[in-house]
Amino acid sequence: MRASLLSILLVIPTMALAEDKAWYERIALHGFASQAYIHTTDNHFYGPSDDGSFEFTEVGINGSFRISPKLRLSAQLLSRQAGRFDNGSPILDYGLVDVSLYADARYATGMYIGRIKNEIGLYNETRDVAHTRSAIFLPQVIYFDKVRNTIMAADGIHLYNNINLDSGTLFMEVGTGYTLADKNVEYAYLGDDWAGAIHNDKLGIFGKILYEHNGGEWIYSITGTRVTLDFDAGASDRVPFPFGPGMNSGEIDIDYTVLSAQYNGEKWQFTGEVAFENVDYVDIGGPVSQMNINSIGYYLQANYNFTPAWQAFIRYEEFQLNKHDWNGKEAARQNRINSQQLASLGINQAPVPAHEYYSKSWVLGGRWHVTHNVMLRAEYHIVEGVATLSPRENTVTDTSKRWDMFAMSLSYRF
Amino acid sequence: MTWISIRVLITLLLLVSQDLPAQTLIANEQVEIKQLSKTTARSIFAMRVHEWPNGTPITVYVLQDQDPTHNQFCKSVLGMFPYQLRRIWDRQVFSGTGTAPIVVNSEQEMLDAVANTKGAIGYISKDDADTHKRIQIIKVDL
Repeated sequence: MRASLLSILLVIPTMALAEDKAWYERIALHGFASQAYIHTTDNHFYGPSDDGSFEFTEVGINGSFRISPKLRLSAQLLSRQAGRFDNGSPILDYGLVDVSLYADARYATGMYIGRIKNEIGLYNETRDVAHTRSAIFLPQVIYFDKVRNTIMAADGIHLYNNINLDSGTLFMEVGTGYTLADKNVEYAYLGDDWAGAIHNDKLGIFGKILYEHNGGEWIYSITGTRVTLDFDAGASDRVPFPFGPGMNSGEIDIDYTVLSAQYNGEKWQFTGEVAFENVDYVDIGGPVSQMNINSIGYYLQANYNFTPAWQAFIRYEEFQLNKHDWNGKEAARQNRINSQQLASLGINQAPVPAHEYYSKSWVLGGRWHVTHNVMLRAEYHIVEGVATLSPRENTVTDTSKRWDMFAMSLSYRF
Repeated sequence: MTWISIRVLITLLLLVSQDLPAQTLIANEQVEIKQLSKTTARSIFAMRVHEWPNGTPITVYVLQDQDPTHNQFCKSVLGMFPYQLRRIWDRQVFSGTGTAPIVVNSEQEMLDAVANTKGAIGYISKDDADTHKRIQIIKVDL
């Protein structure tokens, strides 16, 4: 009796799913681990890097379970230690149900429900997996680590549409969800860790149009997001100026758009991406009333494959916090005036220098696939400006304008 | 003199053609499709199409990334480079939006896997696949 009950229980799902493979054959497990070493001549990036830092460790494991050809579950756990940004405590990176609504050789449509990675630029979706990145660090001028969580992933729903043409494939995706706000976001958009807190109880929207020509020889995309964060000012934040910051509760509206193009040849690959960010502060006032984020970031990268295992690259990247105030000249002048005025009131506050408002760098690097699973990387950055560094790791009035960075990493995946 | 050159040329051509073995797309004998467009073949090996028109799940088998047969198959049949396929699979696997194919270690393993799995597709370097039981050759419009 018990045996027949058991067999019925086993048979029903098997029939319902119309699958020949046993359930355990429809599970796929993958994972990765990566450790980097970072040395900067000045300034801090991922830990006290001017003395050498090992504070960049990424470990992840994911599973995918195909319930039927039309229904799949997948989830990834991620532990990331990155200087003061992330302390390594494991998080659910994504966890979703992939529902295929219609699919044939030409056309596919479906939806993802759950925690979904946002497709911002060519790399955001898998930015924590070393093997999928173009270098140890993705260009910080677009893939800011200091605000990663606003655009990283969201809890919601995405609809996707893929069309296969003879010339190539067109991918379209649109979604909505609640982003994951944290302290890094507060530092990046409000300049400090205030008594109040940032919340994410408003829905953000996400969109992507990507065209892959001739099997991915050329890739063009436009991706974007619009996110609204709420700031609830704490009691000490409300103390009026000049005795306190004089802030109110309000909103931070963030618009982020990335245009991307890539050529993939046998030996050469060329990638260019440009990102526009607009941040509007509503009602918050205080120190952020002078903050104006209307930024542009772009990079150009050329990769050369000596062999499939050995590759070198060169990249130029630039970021301007305010595209109407190139190199922060006007902002720095205003800061000096404010500083003098505060000094006359007896408050000593050093002015934030111009090089806090931009970042320009040349990066040279290479990678070696030691085996299919193991990869070794090294790169050297020559940088002017510190706009991509976080105030969480650096004192903004005391940073070096010109600095170099050397990094190495060892990565494993299965 | 002319004859010698022609002979040398023919010999060279034969040598070259031996260096580049024919890449054959194979499938389990129960698969009803006999011919695929290059676009569809790409979609299948990119793991973007999950079932055959009759609803049978597609199971994709590939050799390792650095295998010469895999390299030749990618270039001559799909018109892609192995690193492009790897990037597509990795993006899908590590963002949860898709999967990667099953990697086998040899062409013999490939033949066994495709023969024994309903809805399976793969490739080998030889064109004598139809001599194997439960395996059929799929034509690709290049």
